Amino acid sequence: MTEQNIPRCACESGIEPAGGTKRIIFACAGASKAGQLSNEAAVQLTKEGYGNIACTASLAVSTPSITKKVETADEVVVIDGCPVGCARQIAERAGVTPDQEIVVTDLGIEKGGGLDLSEEDVETVVSAAWEGKGRSKTENERRPSGGCGCGGGCC
Amino acid sequence: MVLVEVFGTGCAKCGRMIKNVEIAVRELKIDAEIRKIESLDAMIERGVMLTPALYVDGEAKVVGHVPCVEDIKQILLGEK
Repeated sequence: MTEQNIPRCACESGIEPAGGTKRIIFACAGASKAGQLSNEAAVQLTKEGYGNIACTASLAVSTPSITKKVETADEVVVIDGCPVGCARQIAERAGVTPDQEIVVTDLGIEKGGGLDLSEEDVETVVSAAWEGKGRSKTENERRPSGGCGCGGGCC
Repeated sequence: MVLVEVFGTGCAKCGRMIKNVEIAVRELKIDAEIRKIESLDAMIERGVMLTPALYVDGEAKVVGHVPCVEDIKQILLGEK
């Protein structure tokens, strides 16, 4: 068995197989258990190849790099800890309608109760994203940055 | 019965592939046998050079990335 004919894992760096959906993930990372779960789930989803975690704070100030990432993504996924939906609101103010919004408390997880995260809760949030539980009923609404209301047509 | 084979070496992506397949099979309520294959020799024998990989009834359906649950359902229903 030579190195050339050994099966490789897509986790190895430099392998970008075609066929996957390019997703960008924004977590609220709020100061509660649910908020921190949103961030931990985004990290886990990134490791599992679901998408790439991105900086929600950068989106709030519309840095050029984050704007470019949003524009080149196939889907935008938002994970909020609670129904206040801070990450969703930040996205919308940046002119982005998420394709999917997961709200941690909608999954039966309490907002508070300390900052210790359980693997079970992380798995619940991660599975919800993979199952598309937060998918919008009007999936074609999302349009990239600008916020001008043109639906991306002027970009 | 549908034979669903997941080839992977045990990383996070391979683990998720198995979980997503299990969810899809459960939700579709289909009769399926799910096999997790971690042996490199078995992969080489089957021509799998990039993991994770999903085979359904012996046919390669997904190679090198993890499909979401909905995509797996469509594959199992023959819609993809």
